[in-house]
Amino acid sequence: MRIKRSMVTLLGGVLALSLAAPVMAQDEPIDLDAATVGPTGEPSTAVADIAPLTDEEVAQIAEGGYKAALLWAGAGTWYNALSKGAQERLAELGIEVVAESEADFDPARQQTDVETTMALQPDIILTLPVDPVAGGQAYRPAVEAGTKLVFVDNGIDGYVPGQDYVAIVTGDHFGMGKKAAELMADAIGGAGKIGYIFHDAEYYVTNNRDAYFKAAIEQLYPDIEIVAEQGFADEGSTQEIAAAMIAQNPDLDGIYVAWSAAAQGVIAALREAGKPDVKVVAYDLDATNDLDMAQCGNMYGTSLDWPYLEGKVMADLAAKALLGQEVPPFVTVEAQSMTRDNVAETWSSNVGQEVSPEIAAALEEPCQ
Amino acid sequence: MHSPGDARPASLSDRARRWFAAVRPDNLIVYLGFLAVVVFFAVVLQDRGFLTADNFANIARQTAMVSIMAFGMTFVLSAGEIDLSIGSIVALSAMVVAILLRETNLIIAVLGALAVGLVIGLVNGLLTTRLRIPSFLVTLGMLSIVVGLARITTDLEPVPVVDETFAFLFGSGSIGPVPILLVWTAAFLVGFHILLRRTPFGRQVLATGGNKIAAGYSGINTDRIKIAVLMMSAGTAAVAGMLYAGRLQGARYTLGEADLLTVIAATVIGGTSMFGGKGSIVGALFGSLLMGVLNNGLLLMGLTVSEQLVARGVIIIAAVALSLREARA
Repeated sequence: MRIKRSMVTLLGGVLALSLAAPVMAQDEPIDLDAATVGPTGEPSTAVADIAPLTDEEVAQIAEGGYKAALLWAGAGTWYNALSKGAQERLAELGIEVVAESEADFDPARQQTDVETTMALQPDIILTLPVDPVAGGQAYRPAVEAGTKLVFVDNGIDGYVPGQDYVAIVTGDHFGMGKKAAELMADAIGGAGKIGYIFHDAEYYVTNNRDAYFKAAIEQLYPDIEIVAEQGFADEGSTQEIAAAMIAQNPDLDGIYVAWSAAAQGVIAALREAGKPDVKVVAYDLDATNDLDMAQCGNMYGTSLDWPYLEGKVMADLAAKALLGQEVPPFVTVEAQSMTRDNVAETWSSNVGQEVSPEIAAALEEPCQ
Repeated sequence: MHSPGDARPASLSDRARRWFAAVRPDNLIVYLGFLAVVVFFAVVLQDRGFLTADNFANIARQTAMVSIMAFGMTFVLSAGEIDLSIGSIVALSAMVVAILLRETNLIIAVLGALAVGLVIGLVNGLLTTRLRIPSFLVTLGMLSIVVGLARITTDLEPVPVVDETFAFLFGSGSIGPVPILLVWTAAFLVGFHILLRRTPFGRQVLATGGNKIAAGYSGINTDRIKIAVLMMSAGTAAVAGMLYAGRLQGARYTLGEADLLTVIAATVIGGTSMFGGKGSIVGALFGSLLMGVLNNGLLLMGLTVSEQLVARGVIIIAAVALSLREARA
């Protein structure tokens, strides 16, 4: 009897938790037409508008014997492309890469990475901060030593461009969210019901993309309804989330997922549920999802930035700072879309790689 | 008057009572707890898709890998050891099978991935027994080595699995309404249960974990037992890796990352002692199913990630506390 009662109390507690589910926080409505600006309101510069380094300047840099450290927030296809762009350009500029590390999205790990790297006395640090707030402390040693800091995607709260850091280079996350909404509309024919699987954590990049996608769907595509929303923190859990979504909404036409690795689970869940017509939209290149796209499966399209180019630009901006030149503080790379029609070209231009033989073979067969 | 040695024909009720005493699980409360959770969600989620064949098939698929690894972990914990490297073996074996499927054929790929697991288990076992390093530390170090290898193997890129036969057999297929992952779980359940409860090997494992010195004196080669159980858990992790690759139709170096704690929790909730000497394969299955149903139910209830985490932790602690209380009573 005692056991049963405590069990009931416990389960009652869980029930109470669920009923006390938080009221959806009312955010200010997003202005889709607002220009992308940097964290301190600075306007953005397009990559094409940056003056390239002259041959004399390149020679000057090479003579400087400079050292660089690459400190990323995570790892994977996107980071590989970013790093490749940065390393290639740094090699052309005669700058030696003395360290490369990634922090597995742990701000404490990133702080350790910075501290340890400073022992090698790099002149440049190219980095993606995990946490714009905690990062203020993490990068302090580099700022104080006068190291040229170039950020990608995230900035650091309270840092001043030109003083604490050189510049932020970023994909246009707002634009990517909007492009993802366009892709979704194309995928389901402009009207229908979709599921929204977003990143339930504080991370500037995904939070912005998710928010802009949602705002674009709500404001620009009134015939598309988001009937199910579920957040995730662990990318391995999206398969269960998608399975639950489909079970509860069998007439879903499409599902949006916060990024590519997380989308793989969603595609697997759709396959298991026997739903070949539900279309998935996500971000970034991914060999497995892009194969599904080439095979005319669930994956419809992805919205991309251009990590390879971002890496190159980061290296260039750092070099300009070393030469004492004026550097635009906030540079954005335009968002792109990829569907089955331009898979091969996108892989080649975006990461400088050929598509895998399986993808190439699948692209030969037309969709039914 | 009957003398003590006289045999009496056992009556039907005697036999029935003895059989029931033999199969009655030590920790009945876990099974009751599991039932209570299922009933709770069935009531709360009546119209939200919980009590459907599809949903139960989902739960079966979602828990298969953890269940199979929990069966392996039951042997390891029963022998008084622990294996912290299983999560990384999942990733490495998934990568290996995906790459081998591309370059060679299905048989070689499967054997290759399995061999990877067994070799890692063997190394774990040898380091533990020959160098007398505690298995906690050996497998902790091996975890790091294997994660690094999994990352190096494909330079952090995912590898798709295109072989349809493999995908069907190792995770994506169904035989009628029964997911193939359920067949895998059932096969390992029966095999490992018989191994633990009905073979001398199983008894030796429990003896080694219960009292290593006494086991040694009674002629059991405890070193060989330890190597064997570490190979078994690494082997189940390799199988789980292949099942992930088949289910997702792709391999990624992050696979299995979050599974270690879930596997240990399932095993311990199921009644296996963390200190050795006591183990239950059927209990491990129900521990895994309990957590699978919990995840599934909390998700269907629409809780946010944060709420799910809190609820899950509370319920797991409660289930273990109640089961330990019943065991001691």
